[in-house]
Amino acid sequence: MNEQLTIAPRRIGWFCSYVPEEIILAAGCEPVRLEGRVERFQEIDSYLHANLCFTIRNIFESGLRKQYDDLDAVIFANSCDGMRRLYELWSHYIQTPAAYFLEIPKNRDENGISFFSSQLLNLKNQLEEDFAVSITAERLVQAGLQMNERRGKMLELFERQKASPLPYKGSELHTLAIQEGRLPKRDMYPEIQSVLEKPVPVQPVGKAAPRLLVSGNEGTTPTLFRLIENSNADVVLFDTCRGLNHYTGMVSMGNDPIQSIARRYLFKPACARMPGSAQRMERLAALIDEYAIDGVVYSGVQFCDYTLFESALIEPFLKARSLPVLVVENDYIWSNTEQIRTRIEAFVEMTQNKRRTA
Amino acid sequence: MQERYQMMLEMIQARLLEKKRGMDFFIDALFRNILRAYDPELPTVYVSGYAFPMELLWAFDVTPFDFEIACNNLPEVMTGNGSGLMLESEKRGYSRNICSFDRLIIGCLHQGILPKGDLFLTSSYYCHGKAKTNEVVAAHYGMESVLLDVPNEISPAAITYVATQLRNIAAKLEAVTGTKLDPARLKESIHRSNQARASLLTICDWMKRRPCPWNGVEACLLGLGGALFWGSPVRIEIHRLLLTQILERVEKGKTIPEDYRILWFPWVPVQNTNIFKILKENCANVVMAEASFVFWPELDENRPFESLAMKALLDPHVGKAERRIQNLVQSIDDYQIDGAIHFSTTSCYHENTAFPIIRDAIKKKGVPLLNLSGDMSDERNYSAAETNIRISAFMELLAG
Repeated sequence: MNEQLTIAPRRIGWFCSYVPEEIILAAGCEPVRLEGRVERFQEIDSYLHANLCFTIRNIFESGLRKQYDDLDAVIFANSCDGMRRLYELWSHYIQTPAAYFLEIPKNRDENGISFFSSQLLNLKNQLEEDFAVSITAERLVQAGLQMNERRGKMLELFERQKASPLPYKGSELHTLAIQEGRLPKRDMYPEIQSVLEKPVPVQPVGKAAPRLLVSGNEGTTPTLFRLIENSNADVVLFDTCRGLNHYTGMVSMGNDPIQSIARRYLFKPACARMPGSAQRMERLAALIDEYAIDGVVYSGVQFCDYTLFESALIEPFLKARSLPVLVVENDYIWSNTEQIRTRIEAFVEMTQNKRRTA
Repeated sequence: MQERYQMMLEMIQARLLEKKRGMDFFIDALFRNILRAYDPELPTVYVSGYAFPMELLWAFDVTPFDFEIACNNLPEVMTGNGSGLMLESEKRGYSRNICSFDRLIIGCLHQGILPKGDLFLTSSYYCHGKAKTNEVVAAHYGMESVLLDVPNEISPAAITYVATQLRNIAAKLEAVTGTKLDPARLKESIHRSNQARASLLTICDWMKRRPCPWNGVEACLLGLGGALFWGSPVRIEIHRLLLTQILERVEKGKTIPEDYRILWFPWVPVQNTNIFKILKENCANVVMAEASFVFWPELDENRPFESLAMKALLDPHVGKAERRIQNLVQSIDDYQIDGAIHFSTTSCYHENTAFPIIRDAIKKKGVPLLNLSGDMSDERNYSAAETNIRISAFMELLAG
């Protein structure tokens, strides 16, 4: 029993794309990307206001129902107002497993790097203390290399999506990305490699479907992707915090591994939590060109402030470029599928018509 | 906006001619300040006074424009017609699930009634919606939005992080004013802030008296809207006038009847509601509001950036809710509170997520608590009938 305990790596959960898995790996632990795990709310309304982000509600309810008891620790990040308070709720009502809080500076400059480095150093020290491990510079460098390799493989898959006909279904890539975050790293590496090595299926000529890009927050299930694919369109790319955005940017190891990691994470393409909507629009426009995109589906979780603001900016931005855009709201578990299906079918039809006339 | 505030200014000035009251003086100063933002003579700096160390701005020749307070004190909002302005943002894709404060500002922006800004400052606290709105407004004018990012933890690294940002912001203020920061002027601004802080503490002490010689609702309004004037002589004068009034009331026994003493948090609605009328009818007096707590120590005039960074870091809406709980629970004892009211505004995500912990602490203290749902400024999210029922039930609870 004791032997098993020492052999099995400790599992540390994390939620936000700004949490460096490198530090968890360097601690000899297994990073596990977390998501809400309940299908139906039972207890949450006696704690939280109904008008709160469904991601927060789902995670908290999962915690209350002891759905994360398979973990040794959870790292929360100051991703948003809801998440920073969730950490407090967690500490207050759930307590186990151990919970850490990581500040993510919103200013992406040298001052931010310096502060973020101090945060990562604190996290490293806490993990060392709580798990009786030594996180050396060498281990951090190794972890950085390991993560870079994995990112490289995933980016290669995304890069191939520029081709027409499309090599991979968006839903398949999304499932792979979800598994990459959730499952043990050693298991996932061959999985990603096998997808890369698999012969690319060739679509019959003349059947090219509209090429769509998914942005915003698509959730952890492939529901949105399947709805799009079943409507005879392709999800070419998802530039979300589980997609291209998450994998873009390598750790460039310098003399100070912690600072190098901080630099990679803070300088990766910014998500909607960060200031800089204009830069995000520019990035979106560039991706639309690179991937020959015909339309954009912007998905937001209900009551997520960031996506609510961003969607209002993206819609006119894309419309001004005559690119079809559809904004949909999901409740995290996508229980409102039928409404969304109707809208997606109409959107795909409109995109097809636009392609024909173009 | 100018016409509306000009009209309201004339009304308040007529009242001031009758008698110089503290709150009237504050509103007069606030409205004048809003109107000055349209004057091209001085650079206009967008900011949220309640969530920014204003002492820095008063060290420069700029007009700070509190875009949140300015939009949410428009007559349309206060008379329950704010949604007309909000529709201007909603029809541009801003969801009704976004805070009404923010929708209103974006609505005003698209109505073309906001002044043109020279610098757009915002902060990461209380909420991220405010920062996003500032970014939207700045982008509309082709300008950059400058964010003061204040982390949750208090540590030497956090102080350095915030103080460095404040120095960078000072450099931006130098650029828009064309003048270097005068350290003596910043010192003076901090000195004035300390003076005003001391007099506010005296006012808070007076509010511990039974019956309370002032009004927690006004204290809340001053706490939020009047935060713009920390570091300005205006804030000192407001407090001086308020203290004069308080002393006069105490001497002449002119206080309002008080059967129940209420603690209000976190803020009062801007729109006109029936809440305070019902409370008054029940002789329930709001004697203190969280927004008027003095949460920071005296600022160090010789280390201005670090002490202003600390003031920001100590803001109760930055750190853990535990800090708020300590202050709220302490005030229950200090102000002999009979009941507490939490005003839960729709789409205030950080506040509504913190509430369960605060609720449990206040319940543990044995003080009845009413969680009153409503909206700061969107009348569509407010029900007078429901409010009446809920406050009446609360009053029955207080009556035992």
